[in-house]
Amino acid sequence: MNALLLLMGLLLLSYIGSFLVGGHAIRGFGLPSGSEYLLLGFVVGPSVLGLVDRAMLGVFEPIADVALGWLSFVLGLDYAFLGRRRVRAGNAIAACLIALLTGGSVAACEFFVMRRFTSLRGTELLLVAGGIGAACSETTRHAVRWVVERHRAEGPLSNLLAEFADSDDLLPIVATALLFALVPAEHTKIAIPQLGWAGITVGLGVLVGAVAAVLLARELRLHESWGVLLGTSLFAIGLAARLNLSFVAMMFFMGITVAALSRHHDDIAAMVAPTERPVLLPALLLAGARVDPQAMPGLPWIVGVALVVRIAAKLVAGFFVWLGFAPARPAGAALGLGLLSAGALAMTIGLSFALRFPGPIGDTILFTVSVVTIFGEFVGPGRLRAALSQAGELAERAPQRVAAAAASPEELGSGVASP
Amino acid sequence: MSQAAVAPKGIGTRVIQATILVLLFALLFATTRVVPEIHEGVGTIGAVGFLLLAGTLMSELVETIRVPHLTGYLLAGMAAGPHVLKLIDHDTVRNLAQANALALALIALEGGAELKLSIVKRGLKSLMWATLLQSSLVVIGVAGIFLLLRPMIPFLQPLPFVGVVGVALVWGVLSVTRSPSAALGILSQTRATGPVASFTLTFVMTSDVVVVVLVAACLTVVQPMIEPGGSISLHEFHALGREILGSVALGTTLGLVLAAYVRLVNKQLILVFLALGFGLSEVMRYLQYDALLAFMVAGFVVQNLSRQGEKFLSAIHQMGSVVYVIFFATAGADLDIPLLRSLWPVAVILVCSRAIITYSTGRLASWIANDPPSVRKWGWSGLVSQAGLALGLAASIAQKFPSFGNGFRALAIATVALNEMFGPILFKFALDRSGETSAAPELTRASLTPAARPS
Repeated sequence: MNALLLLMGLLLLSYIGSFLVGGHAIRGFGLPSGSEYLLLGFVVGPSVLGLVDRAMLGVFEPIADVALGWLSFVLGLDYAFLGRRRVRAGNAIAACLIALLTGGSVAACEFFVMRRFTSLRGTELLLVAGGIGAACSETTRHAVRWVVERHRAEGPLSNLLAEFADSDDLLPIVATALLFALVPAEHTKIAIPQLGWAGITVGLGVLVGAVAAVLLARELRLHESWGVLLGTSLFAIGLAARLNLSFVAMMFFMGITVAALSRHHDDIAAMVAPTERPVLLPALLLAGARVDPQAMPGLPWIVGVALVVRIAAKLVAGFFVWLGFAPARPAGAALGLGLLSAGALAMTIGLSFALRFPGPIGDTILFTVSVVTIFGEFVGPGRLRAALSQAGELAERAPQRVAAAAASPEELGSGVASP
Repeated sequence: MSQAAVAPKGIGTRVIQATILVLLFALLFATTRVVPEIHEGVGTIGAVGFLLLAGTLMSELVETIRVPHLTGYLLAGMAAGPHVLKLIDHDTVRNLAQANALALALIALEGGAELKLSIVKRGLKSLMWATLLQSSLVVIGVAGIFLLLRPMIPFLQPLPFVGVVGVALVWGVLSVTRSPSAALGILSQTRATGPVASFTLTFVMTSDVVVVVLVAACLTVVQPMIEPGGSISLHEFHALGREILGSVALGTTLGLVLAAYVRLVNKQLILVFLALGFGLSEVMRYLQYDALLAFMVAGFVVQNLSRQGEKFLSAIHQMGSVVYVIFFATAGADLDIPLLRSLWPVAVILVCSRAIITYSTGRLASWIANDPPSVRKWGWSGLVSQAGLALGLAASIAQKFPSFGNGFRALAIATVALNEMFGPILFKFALDRSGETSAAPELTRASLTPAARPS
């Protein structure tokens, strides 16, 4: 397969993705996190059929960078927002604590297991353990929305879980910024401490976000809004990549800043929301093609630990949610299994590590995250549906595809009722 | 999303825009100094973002002195490019230029779709006279000036007189190339409607076909003059016939398919344009068809053989606003300023003489065709700009005649640079003066209008 064919394939996926959010087809169609495209990429990639080789994937790295950066921007713009309203502070903090518990547990266990079963030491060990932990910590909002959409769930528990899923991204992003800062650019002409590079990541994201907000706040012409958003995004990705910083983190903070400073947050969110799926699917295909099952000796151990510890951590987190939040009581103490879905953010972090640290480090993180995402895809939504059913929040007749297709994108976020 | 008219921009807005522009330059300057060496692809991403932002802001700022946006894009590119601040290096500019296939596809589609058959028919007499005279008198006139400048042009010195005449004819043909992208860029910004706008659009878009025929004819004739021992061969015409017919056929088919798509689906046209820009352009390059002509025919077919023209144009405009900025800012970054500095006396004479001959010929053609007064006065103004087509031809001529090719190409780059800078300014000035620039305010998001703001 040549590069042009791959490009056309990616555009085709993007086209399909656009219909999945456009209301033309059913938004609850397919798997919640689009893992089928991850598997498709794996199959056509160098590890299985070899239709796309490593060299060609290298040609597409800039496209992958842009796709991941844009996804992070969309996540940042929508961070702690459920539809048009902000997530309650208490729920946002709880979501961060769940992410900290999950990601921290996974990272700590991986650290000890890898020190025993692999030759990784020092910064490399920190990068792999931390990267896996960061990517494993989230619960993807896509899965929660998918279940809500497909089964017409409505009620306080749906609302609570949607708020958790929409506000647990901060911690993994900060962790990613810190981990990338451990290995700054090689030919840098100034000496800055590692923490300083993490600060620069956040600072540049905020600065470029502020520029975007100011430009969008003035009397900007309609067609220029896209120019400003694309221009600032590509500029930020370029800056981050030049400095070897995490463009995922920079773009996320850019999104948060635009959301915080712009009075036109709703307009901007409505503009960019339909682009998420069309960008995500090609990114998943590229990620799948890069997955290498022989990334490192001892990989089965690493993956096994990530899966087991993540399940355990989510169960514990679910138990605390069950204890501490009244809407969660009817769902039972195993609610945490419903939070197992990982998706856009996990794969974005995994692929960004693979792009920045090609070789065993990046490949190990990406492979582990891919397995965790696929596992979560098959377990999470089912358990979530069961929990919502126990809580009596599912509609009588499900799935209601026609009704789901008629709903507007905003309703996806706010379709859950207020308690 | 709802739309509303936008209020004129005040001094506060301009100060903010200037501040942000300086900030962007400073940020990129700082990062390029902190980390000078990077992977090519990384530089390209940042460069696209920077050119998009800096070009947009610069165009807003030069708008205050009534200079076209397009010139602002060029200025931003020049300032950041490898010859001035060196924020964007040569490799990045080369990478960006490769992505121009998308821009050219959009420009050609838009140009074709803007050509309404009724307008073409109405102005057919003007078009025919202008094409005939501009393609003959300008070639002869500019070739004559070029011949007179022989002592000032180093690469002509080793050639015999007959050879110099041959090169002068080639230069004359090069001088009848126009810039569809510049004309469309200005028309898109000003949203001008009227005789001058219609005439320029029709002339510039059809001149593409005329130029490729002229070039083929000229190269056939001058080959034995420039290269002793060479003979006249009709091979060029054989290849040309195949190229033109193939391009028109493919363009017609594409136009019908696009019209059907717009009618039946009418979604995600941006992705369709991306696929066309990158995919189909590559296929046409492989088939040795003229992508510009094929896309222009496709746009023409959608506009005139279906009812989907307006929807189609609207979709192109949405994407075009971003593509134009990157395309022209990249062209600005690519301008070889040191070369221009060394060749400027000859280049200035050639540019001025071409403009004067174009003006005189325009007046003559308009007088013969009995054009409206505005076309008589300003019809020539849109024909001065030159850009990618001229550079492409110069490159292929340089390849065909290695004995003088490099010098020829360098001079062409210098003159095209001047025409690219001043042509759009002249055209916009003419549209403003002829009263064809739209006075209607542009659209913005409703939430951005003063009425929608909280007090």
